[in-house]
Amino acid sequence: MRARLTLAWAVLAAGVAFGGPALANEKAEPDPANSQYWGSIRNLMFGDREILDGKDVIRVYLAMRADDASTVPVAVKAQIDQTPERYIKTIYLLVERNPSPAAGVFHFTPDSGRAQVETRLRFEDYSHVRAVAETNDGKLWMDSRWVKAAGGCSAPGGKYRVPAALLGKMKFRFDDDIKYNEPNLVQVNIRHPNESALAADFDPDAVPQFVRSVLVTYAGKEVMSAEVDFSLSDNPTFRFWFVPREKGELRVEVEDTHDNRYMQSVPVMEGGPLPGG
Amino acid sequence: MMRSIIRPAVWLATVTACLAAIGAVAAAEGFAVSEIAPGNYVHYGVHEERLPANLGDQANIGFIVGEKCVAVIDTGGSLPVGKTLRAAIGRVTDLPVCYVILTHVHPDHFFGAAAFLDDRPQFVGHAQLPRAMAARARFYVKTLQRDLGDLADGSEAIAPTLLVKDEMVLELGNRKLRLRAWPVGHTDNDLTVYDEKTATLWLSDLLFVDHTPVVDGSILGFLAVVSELAAIPARHFVPGHGRTDMPWPAALDPQTRYLEVIVRETRQALKDGRTIQEAVDTVGLAEENNWVNFELFHRRNVTSAYTELEWE
Repeated sequence: MRARLTLAWAVLAAGVAFGGPALANEKAEPDPANSQYWGSIRNLMFGDREILDGKDVIRVYLAMRADDASTVPVAVKAQIDQTPERYIKTIYLLVERNPSPAAGVFHFTPDSGRAQVETRLRFEDYSHVRAVAETNDGKLWMDSRWVKAAGGCSAPGGKYRVPAALLGKMKFRFDDDIKYNEPNLVQVNIRHPNESALAADFDPDAVPQFVRSVLVTYAGKEVMSAEVDFSLSDNPTFRFWFVPREKGELRVEVEDTHDNRYMQSVPVMEGGPLPGG
Repeated sequence: MMRSIIRPAVWLATVTACLAAIGAVAAAEGFAVSEIAPGNYVHYGVHEERLPANLGDQANIGFIVGEKCVAVIDTGGSLPVGKTLRAAIGRVTDLPVCYVILTHVHPDHFFGAAAFLDDRPQFVGHAQLPRAMAARARFYVKTLQRDLGDLADGSEAIAPTLLVKDEMVLELGNRKLRLRAWPVGHTDNDLTVYDEKTATLWLSDLLFVDHTPVVDGSILGFLAVVSELAAIPARHFVPGHGRTDMPWPAALDPQTRYLEVIVRETRQALKDGRTIQEAVDTVGLAEENNWVNFELFHRRNVTSAYTELEWE
C-alpha cells in the first residue's frame, strides 16, 4: 500500500513537471520522482503498469560523477535469488536523457544463476539512470541513480576506428576457476564501434552500425539475451553469471543494425584451465 | 511579482558579463610571447580550468617567422586568444601568415583559428583531423559556450585545407618546417613541427610538462610515439602544456614514467580480475602529487587505458 502511494505521487509529480520549464538546479542531485523526462518514457515502455520501489529486488550502481562520458561503468544487481519459483525475467536499463533511453533490455532465466549484468554506458547529458526489473509474477520494481556525465553520445568516444578484420571478434574473461552447479562470472567483450547516431559527422541517411541484440547460451540453453543500442560504449562489454552443470560450450551470438551476425564460443569444464578467447 | 524575480537575474547576468569582459582585457594585456630560438615565438598557456577570465588560454601556442611568411602553430582556446596571437605576430613582423598548423583536434589548441581567416592561409592538419573534428566540433562548441558565454562568439572549428599523411615540408622563405603526422598516440591526429634552421621541435600535446598527460588515443601508441620523438636531435622544444628547464630528451621522462605506471598497474588490475571501476579507483594514485589537474584527467586516462589493454 505504501508503495502504491509513492507511485501515485511520482506519476502526479511527473505529470506536473512534464512539458514545463526546467526549474531544477542540475548541479544538485534531483529527485528522480520529479524528473520531467521520466513520464513519457514510463508511459511508452510500461503504460499504466504499477512500478514498485525496488531496492529489495534490484539495484543499479554507478559512480555519481563519471570521468569519461563515453565509458561509464554500470552494474545492475538482483537482490533476490534466481530460483524457479521466483526470479527476475527482465531488467530494463534506462538512461533518461539519452537520445534512445532504453540502453538495454536484458532477459534472464532461472539458469542464469543471478540476474546481474555489468556494462558500460555513454551519456549525452546529466541523467537519472533507472533499472526496472520484472519478476516472473509480472511485477515491476525500480531503482535509480543520478549521474553527472555529458557528451558521450555526440562527442568524445570512438577514439579510433575498430579495424574491419577485428569487427565482431569477442574476448571471454573468467576470473575464477569454473565450478559446476553454482553461478560463475564471465565477461564478454565484443569488438564493435557501436556507432552513435548522434555523432555530428554522421550521415543522416545512413543507418548507424550498432549492436542490437545479444544471445548467450550454455550447453544449448539460454543464459541471457538482450536488446541493446548505442547508449552502450564502443566495444560493448557484458559481465554476467551462468550456471554450468556439466562440460559444455558458452556461446555468444550478436547481431548489429547492418544485419551482421557474429558468433563466438568457448569450451567450459570444471577444474580445467580457464577458458580464454 | 515577475519583475522581482527577473531583475536579480538580469543584474547577475550583467555583472557576470562585465567581469568576463574585464577578464578578457586583462588576459589580452598579459599575453606574452617569448622568442625561444631565432624566429620561434611561444606563448605559454595557463594551467587552469577554462574560465571567462582566462578565455581558454590553456595551451602553448606560437609562430615561426621565415623570410617570406609566417606559420602559426595552434591558435588557442577561443577567438579572442587567436586574435591576441594575431596581434602579437603583427608586433614582430609585417610578413603575411601563410600557414596555420592545427596540431590536433583538441579545442584548447584550435578554437582561435578564425582570427586568421583574413590572412587566407592554408590550414594544415593531420590526415585524420577532418574526421575527428567533424565528429566532435558540435560538442566542443556547446561546451565552449557553456564555459565562456558570449566570449565564445566567433570561435569556430576550421577544417584543414592541407592534409599531412606522413611527412610534409613547408617553406617559409629560407626556413623549412618539417611536419610529421604520427600514428595514434595522444589522439589519432597528432602533428609535430620541426624547424630545421634552429632544430626546434614543436611537440604540442605529445609532451605534457607539469600538466597531467591526457590519453585520448592509445596509451601504448603514445609511449611508442614518444620513444621515436626522443631520437630527434632537437636543440629547443615546445611542449603542448607547461614549460621546463630540463634538457631534451630527458624532458620526456616524467611523462613517460606516468604513462608507464598506468600501463603497468592497469595490466596488474586486469590480471587480478579487477573491474574497470575498481581499476579507476586504484591505478596510478601515487602520481597524484606530480601533476596539475590530476583530478580532471587521471581517471579518464585509466578508463581509456583499461579499455585498450583489456584486449591484450
